[in-house]
Amino acid sequence: MMPLERFLIEFLLNFLTRGELNALLRSPQNTATLIGCLIAISGALLGVFLLLRGMSLTSDAISHTVLLGIVVAFLLMTKVFGVAGDTSSPWLILGASLAGVGTVLLTEMLYRSGLVRQDAALGLAFPLLFAIAVILVSRFVDDVHLDEDAVLVGEIGLAWANSNSHCFEHCETVTVTEDHPAAKMTRQCLNCRALGISPRDRRAEFIEVCGNCGDYSPARAWSAGLLEREPALVFFPKSIAVTSIMTLLTLAFVLVFYKELKLSTFDPALAMALGFRPGLMHYALMILVSLVAVGAFDAVGSILVIAFFIIPPAAAYLLTDRLALMLLLSPLIGAAGAYFGYDLARGQLFGFIPIAEGIAAVNRLFGLALIEAWDSSISASMVLMIFILFTLAWVLSPRYGLISTLIRRAIRRRLFEDQVVLAHIHNHQHTAQAATELRVATLHAHFRWTPRKMGRVLARLRALGFISIVAGGALLTERGDGHVHRFRKTMLEAHNMPGVD
Amino acid sequence: MAGRAFPGEDRRVWLIIAAIVLGGALVIPLSQALFGLRFTYTVRVVALGGAILGVLSGALGCFAVLRRESLVGDALSHAALPGVAIAFLLAGRELSPLLIGAGVASWLGLRFVAALLTTTRIKQDTALGIVLASWFAAGIALLAYIQSIPDASQAGLDHFIFGQAAAIIESDVRLVSAVGAVVLLALALFWKEFKLVTFDAEFAGANGFRVGLINALLSTLVVVTIVLGLQLAGVILMVGMLIAPGVAARQWTQKLDQMVILAAVFGAFSGGLGAVISALDSDIPTGPMIIVVAFALVLMSLFLAPGRGLLWSRLRGRANRRRFAARNTLRDLYRYALAHGAAESPVPDAFIRGVGDRSAELGLSQLRGDGHVRLGADGWQLSQSGIDLARRDGRNQALWNVYRLHAHELNLPIVAEERYVDIASRLPAAAIAELERRLPGSAGG
Repeated sequence: MMPLERFLIEFLLNFLTRGELNALLRSPQNTATLIGCLIAISGALLGVFLLLRGMSLTSDAISHTVLLGIVVAFLLMTKVFGVAGDTSSPWLILGASLAGVGTVLLTEMLYRSGLVRQDAALGLAFPLLFAIAVILVSRFVDDVHLDEDAVLVGEIGLAWANSNSHCFEHCETVTVTEDHPAAKMTRQCLNCRALGISPRDRRAEFIEVCGNCGDYSPARAWSAGLLEREPALVFFPKSIAVTSIMTLLTLAFVLVFYKELKLSTFDPALAMALGFRPGLMHYALMILVSLVAVGAFDAVGSILVIAFFIIPPAAAYLLTDRLALMLLLSPLIGAAGAYFGYDLARGQLFGFIPIAEGIAAVNRLFGLALIEAWDSSISASMVLMIFILFTLAWVLSPRYGLISTLIRRAIRRRLFEDQVVLAHIHNHQHTAQAATELRVATLHAHFRWTPRKMGRVLARLRALGFISIVAGGALLTERGDGHVHRFRKTMLEAHNMPGVD
Repeated sequence: MAGRAFPGEDRRVWLIIAAIVLGGALVIPLSQALFGLRFTYTVRVVALGGAILGVLSGALGCFAVLRRESLVGDALSHAALPGVAIAFLLAGRELSPLLIGAGVASWLGLRFVAALLTTTRIKQDTALGIVLASWFAAGIALLAYIQSIPDASQAGLDHFIFGQAAAIIESDVRLVSAVGAVVLLALALFWKEFKLVTFDAEFAGANGFRVGLINALLSTLVVVTIVLGLQLAGVILMVGMLIAPGVAARQWTQKLDQMVILAAVFGAFSGGLGAVISALDSDIPTGPMIIVVAFALVLMSLFLAPGRGLLWSRLRGRANRRRFAARNTLRDLYRYALAHGAAESPVPDAFIRGVGDRSAELGLSQLRGDGHVRLGADGWQLSQSGIDLARRDGRNQALWNVYRLHAHELNLPIVAEERYVDIASRLPAAAIAELERRLPGSAGG
């Protein structure tokens, strides 16, 4: 990770000064927002293909199992190999993503045995793996970075603090030895504990021990006051490096294999026939989903991450029919959700509507005494914000939105009512039954409509000049007659029938 | 595989049910006697609560499994969380308001899924994922808000996430049993309707049943079950508790009533046993342990269930393969022997292995075991029983050939052409006589 981080920083230093970069990354808000956006972008990109393949909930299964992979790898590292556990270590990420792919295989195996259906196979596999992970966590792991809370929500708000330091100028490493002027020598009793005596006892033997000897990295050396010149340091949060690699990988995958992904998603049989190996694409996709889920674990936990996979693509799916546009909209929605989500967690909806006032209103309404300061989980708020954006897309989408659907249905209903009444009049006028069939007062009964509805339709048709009311009966005007004929003609042509007239 | 009943299945299923009930009832006394474990009052209450919840979720889960709605349970249980939090804010830490809040929240989640499905082109799995993630996030956000309130009474609220069986007390068990009894009663009352909409909703609709209403009632019962189970298993693992007993029971039987009862028994067993195991070690959480026990039952059922189970179908496949290989090898041996003199003439080993390859090996070992062939000095020689068998088989095949050619013109009944079965067992004697007259080489042919 370190050389990659250094590369990223050097790239960023082309645009920012070191001070600006440090100020940027030391702010919890910037770091959290940046990490949230990176996760949202990679998740939303992959999610598009999951959604189109009808595999949205596979991301659910994978994110649960990734926890098991992380826990097992963590236990192996700390208990067996005796290495300090770190949830952003590359080995851990590799192991955990293998576990994610393993779940997909397990689910497919259960499903292919023919004894369990697909939904049940998924519903069996991940609660089991998650249950095992929870048992392992509570039985064997006592580490702040891997408790049950971290599993749920992650620590995106603290991501800025868990950082690596990189030195760029005046980089002096210091090795403090016993004869170094800054060495702090202390006396330690050798046999006090063994003999059970106090250090003041006459029998006590002492040795001189150096309290602060060792190798100092530039950052530690500066903070310990061992250096005269301040080294040029950049503190880079570990999560940013991990998530930006995930994002770059995802972007590269989608860009390079765009054609293959598109073909194997929409027509796997054709892809197979053309020699594209859709199975390979399937597993590549699963590996990437696992990688992103592991990378996101630190920041948003193992459950909330599925929101980044599922909701932004669903919102984009309501807005467009084109794959390329969907791939553009989906990450945008996810990133916007992550950006506004931080404000939501701090009590500002969209940055300008304060939530405290809402709680105050609830208090007044129900006579409660809830605390009005809203300070909540950042990752959960990001998910909520994405959900709010989804709801907006659902309501407002020009083609598939609720409002446009309602309008379209209303227009269609009105058109149908008009045509049906016009056709009725056309069929019965100038016939023997015209007097009974076309009497305005009873016309509604022929359609089993309410009189009000019929009145509305007739008023509309009169306003359009299609009918006139003569002596209590409805008659087509010349314009109305022409309209009925035109309509019939187009309908008959549309349905390929021989014309009547 | 569905639809085929196996002989003796009915009685067997009831026997299994009785055995598990008996074993489950004996778990506590037995483990006291064998391992010298002490079960405190608390552990007994938790085990009882676990067993009752297991019965409920097992019985209702069957319908979720059969209707292919396993993951609806997952979404509904996650969706309960914000309800718990809001109920806590409004009414404090009383169990019944919390449960009502949970029920309302997951019911709203269910309506949201339905609304998405009817007004957009989003598919069910995506809709479930949307509700699952966002409702859960709302719950987490509210819990984080609650935790910022300086007030001790919020302690234990997050146990709804992972489940905290150890916190179950007697009054909880009473509440769960009362509500559970109502749920089971409703299940019994509407048994016919539930069965009908589960297996053939269109038929139910055509016969005047109000499918929408029945579906709504069934999903309400599932919501109630999930809400009751949250305390024990938690929102994340509840889906396992709901469907694992149903999947396990499905392997043993083809009948809905047996499946539901068996699932209830499996659920009770895993609920009780999981609670007991986690009582042994305070570091083992109860909910996850119950899931592990339930999944062990599923694995056992998948492998061992008679008829459907992987073990039996593997064994059956092997037996079929051996029988098929033996028959083909016998045919080859007989044909070669006849072509080289008499039926008793020996067949060179190299020839028969060359013809049959791997299956010849299998067939020869089977035939030899049955005493139909023996290995002489110059090859394989058919015994008298082998010759008889080969002759009978040859005649049977010939009759089937005639049947295939002439069944239509002879106006014979139409049966499936299962060539490995004796044709006489499939057709009436008169028809066999007809066929025999047509055999090539016979007088009438």
